[in-house]
Amino acid sequence: MIEIDARGLRCPQPIIELGKKIIDLKSGEELVLHSDDPATEPDLSAWARMTGNKFSKLENEKFLITKI
Amino acid sequence: MVRVTGNFQSESPLHPKAFEVLHAAFDNGWANPGKLSQSGSKANKVKNEALESISVALKVPVDSIFAFSSMSLGFYLGIHGLGIQGLLKDSAPLVHGATDRKDVFAIASRVSHQVLPCALDGKLISPTQQSPNSVLALSVANAETGVIQECDDIIQSVGTDRIFLDATASGIRAQSTNKYSTAIFDSRSWYGPSEVGLLVVKNKSQWSNPLPHLNAAHPNFDASLPLLLASAVALENFSSEVVEANQRARNFNSQLREAFAQIPDVDIAGSLDSSLAHLLSASFMNCNGEELLRGIANDGFSVDSGSACTADNLEPSHVLAAMGVLTHGNIRITIHPDTTQAEIDSLISSIKKNVERLRS
Repeated sequence: MIEIDARGLRCPQPIIELGKKIIDLKSGEELVLHSDDPATEPDLSAWARMTGNKFSKLENEKFLITKI
Repeated sequence: MVRVTGNFQSESPLHPKAFEVLHAAFDNGWANPGKLSQSGSKANKVKNEALESISVALKVPVDSIFAFSSMSLGFYLGIHGLGIQGLLKDSAPLVHGATDRKDVFAIASRVSHQVLPCALDGKLISPTQQSPNSVLALSVANAETGVIQECDDIIQSVGTDRIFLDATASGIRAQSTNKYSTAIFDSRSWYGPSEVGLLVVKNKSQWSNPLPHLNAAHPNFDASLPLLLASAVALENFSSEVVEANQRARNFNSQLREAFAQIPDVDIAGSLDSSLAHLLSASFMNCNGEELLRGIANDGFSVDSGSACTADNLEPSHVLAAMGVLTHGNIRITIHPDTTQAEIDSLISSIKKNVERLRS
């Protein structure tokens, strides 16, 4: 599974990195995003709504993204 | 620099009539209105006239109005004053909205509290259970997004009669509920000077001064008299201009929203129909808010942002986060009465250009 280590990056960089990687995924495939930026979690919620993809929080600073 | 900015990083532009009166106000209103000197009694007369004028504009009795000088103090007075003996206790928890001002969160952090979440449209979600012993702090409209709350519905669902209204953003621009105990207003909402706030105590039996004091008959807080006079003049004049100002702002806001809707991946907070017409918050995906602000500033426009990268503490706007609106690439626009069509056209061009540049 693809993992993006965006720790240390500040908004909007984690979402931009996510956007670059997700285009290579097929529908149903998943990737893991690591981010310690406080803006990432609320932004993922908006990003998922706007792009139609899904996300869930696996643990602190670790998110599972599913391409729809 | 064209100011399409609100009260986050700057003051509102002063109303021209308030600007005119400010010099004379400092000349006539320097004495302590509470003292029995000739100058003091002159200042007292001037103060009473200012409060009379304010009471007419706000449609509240003159003896229910108290001026104060700091917005944080106003929130404290208005909320804590509804607690038992003027202080909130666990037996009177504070219920407030997720999109309220940070001042409300600061007060809530010290007392038992319940936060009402909000939906994507910015409207608060009513609680399933009533809290009849609580104090409800309710913002009429949000200062960032302009979203206007359904105040009567929330008040009914919480079921308390101790209600604090935050009218600092809405001022006289939006109709509000009559079911409140205390309310505060910010002079800047009608283009008066900053550091002038007004506390309205509708029901004096529900409120007591939460500040340490020796004489309950004389509030131990006040505002600068010259600034209060300027605020009263601004309010009196803006009262006759507010309908036109709202119509004009609505037209410009609509143009901005239509233009933004043509840009891919934009998230606009709240709908125009349920928001203050002069405020607009929009987020552009994959754009850095700070760089976006700088690019727009280079084109001559000063706007605000709720993005984390523009904040001192690197935290995104709690309002956008609570709504679930994109927090990065955010700009907040405030349309003032003197904003022109040419400025809106140029602002749209600037935003489109800078969003495209940052995404390339």
